[in-house]
Amino acid sequence: MADFVSFYLMPGVVLGCIYALGAVGLTLLFGILRFAHFAHGDVMTVGAYVAFVGVVSFGLTAYQSIPLAILVSVLLVMAIDRTFYRPLRRASPIVLLISGFGVALMLRAAILFFFGPDGGVYEQGIRRPMIFATEWGRFRIQERHLWIIGGAVALALTLHLFLTRTRLGKAMRAMSDNPDLARITGIPTERVILATWAIGGATAATAGVFLAIDTQVNPMMGMNMLLPIFAAMILGGVGRPWGAVFGGLVLGIAEELVAAPIWGGQPLLSPAYKVGLSFAVMVLLLIFRPTGLFKGQS
Amino acid sequence: MSLLTVSEVFGGYGGADILQGASLTVASDEIVVIIGPNGAGKSTLMKAVFGLVRLRQGSVSLDGTTITNLAPDRMAHHGLAYVPQERNVFVSLSVEENLEMGHFIRRGSPRAAIDRVYGLFPDLAAKRRQAAGSLSGGQRQMVAMGRALMLDPRLILLDEPTAGLSPKYMDVIFDKVREINRTGTAVLMVEQNAKQALKIAHRGYVLQTGRNRVDDTGAALLANPDVAQMFLGA
Repeated sequence: MADFVSFYLMPGVVLGCIYALGAVGLTLLFGILRFAHFAHGDVMTVGAYVAFVGVVSFGLTAYQSIPLAILVSVLLVMAIDRTFYRPLRRASPIVLLISGFGVALMLRAAILFFFGPDGGVYEQGIRRPMIFATEWGRFRIQERHLWIIGGAVALALTLHLFLTRTRLGKAMRAMSDNPDLARITGIPTERVILATWAIGGATAATAGVFLAIDTQVNPMMGMNMLLPIFAAMILGGVGRPWGAVFGGLVLGIAEELVAAPIWGGQPLLSPAYKVGLSFAVMVLLLIFRPTGLFKGQS
Repeated sequence: MSLLTVSEVFGGYGGADILQGASLTVASDEIVVIIGPNGAGKSTLMKAVFGLVRLRQGSVSLDGTTITNLAPDRMAHHGLAYVPQERNVFVSLSVEENLEMGHFIRRGSPRAAIDRVYGLFPDLAAKRRQAAGSLSGGQRQMVAMGRALMLDPRLILLDEPTAGLSPKYMDVIFDKVREINRTGTAVLMVEQNAKQALKIAHRGYVLQTGRNRVDDTGAALLANPDVAQMFLGA
């Protein structure tokens, strides 16, 4: 029981939080711009590398580098929107999808150019887990996992308050709901779009730093996240922030749990197949329930 | 002098012109109704006034300011509000949030304006926390009109406000239109229920193939045998 929680459930929740942060930005951007942002994973990579610079060059801790990572990533995605996506606002979704793919390649190439293909870690050496001895057994919890979960929860709650309590947040939901009526109402759509990029950039950068804290920085890290965060977004119903959070948590936990030796001491599925799980979920959903578990946009 | 002046406009959705020289005026204290057969360009004319249909020729002016082909998201700044016939509420937002959106362009609290709208539509006050998408057709129409009234516009454009409503709600909506007008907002509306609409209208225009066919006072149009035969089912 304690081992199950320590080695499978907890890492699953952490991975789920990271997926959730990625998927929530993706789903908001889809709601406002009606296009699937293919470069979202690479924005996560950028965030992780900005924090890497903060750690290596400025001597900050990875957590202290998060505001820096957010700032740079938000400015970057806003600049990308002005340069690449804004001229294509009225183009077909396929054109936007391809341009997003192009942006993804550019970001990855830039990271490879400046940092090389090898990757790195924020902190050398092994961190011992905190041990909680209870009547159910000894739980071994990594301190970083608590920080990641706490950070993700705080960010999700902040976002929820923003969307339900502020003028701009409500306008964002209004525009996602009915863009024509938003325009008729006089809501400045370009300003709402910029705000959406800011949220997408900030959540993606944070997710990237969290992922790198849990594993390492690597030029391909964001690319590898793309499939699960798309699956999480679709699972929760496209355009629904809480749905994306739910989808992310479900996929993250499921990926870790399938490798747990629950029956007869053998893993349910070899850990090598973990990634396939998101893919399977996405395919099944698109066939049987394309609007996700909670009715979203198709 | 009239508040809204539309003079000899031509335009459409890119292909052939739907509007072929239509003109109309609305004074600041009037209810004006546009009637006509299907495809006459009634809704198109309304959309053209609000900048949603591109005009190739002709002009639209509001209180002396030319607003021809101005972007729709600028119209609210000029005191013009528009209620589309369909998809006219934010379905996933609550009633109160819908109203707040109507106040978006203005700084400061929307409270006073929201209370004014609740005063006009008391039904909505009871449902303020409900999603607009969960309301009946008549209540949705009230939310849509309420949203448009949040800025206390000088002129409100209503595109078939009673379409698809039960007779009971139709009467309610027509009553509310009169009340809106009494509190100082001019009304321009397109209506299928021509008879009822002309009863509350000061003046009416009969549109056919994108241009004016008859214009007269509401009472005179009701009494006009040609109009009666064509549109009023008499």
